[in-house]
Amino acid sequence: MTDKRPKVLVVDDAATVRLYHRTLLDNAGFEVAEAANGLEAVEAALSTAFDLFVIDVNMPKMDGYACVETLRSETVGTPAPVLMISTEDRPGDADRAYAAGANLYLVKPVDAERLARVARMLTAGIAA
Amino acid sequence: MTSAATAGAGLSEADFEKFREYFYKRTGIQFTAAKRYFVDKRIDACIRDSPYDTFTSWFAALRLNDRPELLQELINQLTVNETYFLREDYQFDSMLRTVLPDVLAMRGGPNRIVGPVKILSLPCSTGEEPYSIGLRLLEEWDLIDRVDVEIHGADIDSEVLLRARHASYGERSLQRVPAKWRAKYFTSVGTGRYQLDEGIRGAVTLHQVNVCDTLAMRAFREFDVIFCRNVLIYFDELSSRRAAENLYGAMRPGGYLFLGHSESMSRISPIFTPTRLPEGIVYQRPIGANR
Amino acid sequence: MGLVRRDAPPPEETAAPPTTGTLMRQLDDADPDCRREAALGLGGVAEAVPALLRRIAVETEPLVRDAVLTTLAAHDTAKVADGLGGHLASDDAGLRTAAAEALATMPVSVPAIIPGLLTDPDHDVRVMTAMVLADLPHPESQAWLAQMIAEDAHPNVVTAAIDALLPSLGPEHHDLLRAAVQRFPDDPFLRFTVEAALR
Repeated sequence: MTDKRPKVLVVDDAATVRLYHRTLLDNAGFEVAEAANGLEAVEAALSTAFDLFVIDVNMPKMDGYACVETLRSETVGTPAPVLMISTEDRPGDADRAYAAGANLYLVKPVDAERLARVARMLTAGIAA
Repeated sequence: MTSAATAGAGLSEADFEKFREYFYKRTGIQFTAAKRYFVDKRIDACIRDSPYDTFTSWFAALRLNDRPELLQELINQLTVNETYFLREDYQFDSMLRTVLPDVLAMRGGPNRIVGPVKILSLPCSTGEEPYSIGLRLLEEWDLIDRVDVEIHGADIDSEVLLRARHASYGERSLQRVPAKWRAKYFTSVGTGRYQLDEGIRGAVTLHQVNVCDTLAMRAFREFDVIFCRNVLIYFDELSSRRAAENLYGAMRPGGYLFLGHSESMSRISPIFTPTRLPEGIVYQRPIGANR
Repeated sequence: MGLVRRDAPPPEETAAPPTTGTLMRQLDDADPDCRREAALGLGGVAEAVPALLRRIAVETEPLVRDAVLTTLAAHDTAKVADGLGGHLASDDAGLRTAAAEALATMPVSVPAIIPGLLTDPDHDVRVMTAMVLADLPHPESQAWLAQMIAEDAHPNVVTAAIDALLPSLGPEHHDLLRAAVQRFPDDPFLRFTVEAALR
């Protein structure tokens, strides 16, 4: 990897999930930042141009869907790809994610290889 | 992984991480690893002043929230709580450069604006903040001669409001005020104290109010700009939410809210829209009823 | 022009506050701002709880929902805990997470509904329950989380409970964590989390 590693923001209220995704994405060649709920993610995205967002669904203060909607709205307006990862696997959840503006919706658990593959696919052509 | 670190012995890595996560979750304030030594020392001081002997027992009590004074003491130890003229001045820069021009634009421009621009400082403590706002507007805002501005200060503590009304300050409080401004707006009243000119003192309206009291806060309406710095971090979850709701009710749609520089709404309430200004993040009451 | 002072109290200050009856009617007003202010104005009014619970079930505007929950959570009574507990199963992610947040601030009444939530057939509800227990300031929270880690059949519930227990994790929990990995050997996240916690 060169020094231009693509920047990813990992958004999850669970510290263990943030650590897991940070570790996997760091190994996969990404520069990783963290946010602990949807609002923090929005504030982070106002200050930094991320190349990828990895976002949980159930979070306090602002849930994942509302977070993606805000990232896509004129408040932030980021075009960067969004991967949602959820514990929920009921029908309709994926459709809600796509309607909010997510690019891909996966159900936990996501193993290392799959997360790395998907993250690279979503950021293909962005950097390094 | 030991949790039995005693006061004075410093924290284990694991305990420090637990603490950091807790404090971040509770207050929105983050410490980098570089602050480790400082944080260790302050936690030690908190444990020494508490009825607990070990980090583990102190931290458990803190998290259970049985003794609110533990958190209050911790926040006092970990934050700067001093008030002085022109503190966190970059936010006043932001107000002059970006916020007031936008407020005027939303309200029809400097020639068509109806009613005054309203600014609230809450908590205003002994008055340094609302008076600093007045000084900077009079000295540095070129539209001050064309637009009416109302400045209000509010605090829960009647004692500090009396001192704010009297508006005499010592050297320490005035250290950042330029000599020219000092000569122009302050009069020596002996023993190293300087009283603010009646022109500014008298123009600021002071109120006693508890920001969590929804009924009392109904009197505050249509503010264009609110400074609410370094107070929400002291509140528990429900009180900070209610305070945020009351501040929202006190603002005009599109109005701006400044928090302290280490504070963030993201741990309190989603009702405001964060906005990035060159000087940092501010919060706006959304313009439409629907987000 | 310049700095102007206003001493006369604003009209709102002198106007009599609306009655409880008016505020309860305004909970169903078409204007979201009106509903929001009514919900906040009903703070501390016990007789308004049923109307607020009815409102939270149908409210779609996030600003109003937050105001209703801010008022409801301050009551911390069995009725509110029961009413909000039902929303942990909501299909609306905003409602179920906001309900979980409110429940986490109700240490008096929430313990009574925990046993029922721990055995809820929907694992998504049990994940939300771990989220409540993570922040509920109650001496039994740790024990309930430990019970979830030891007994719950769904790996996502177990990992959510481990995350929630993490801040109070001690050596006494190590066997519990190792046993969880044994029960779900194929879950990479659970294995990673336990290894990180034991390190």
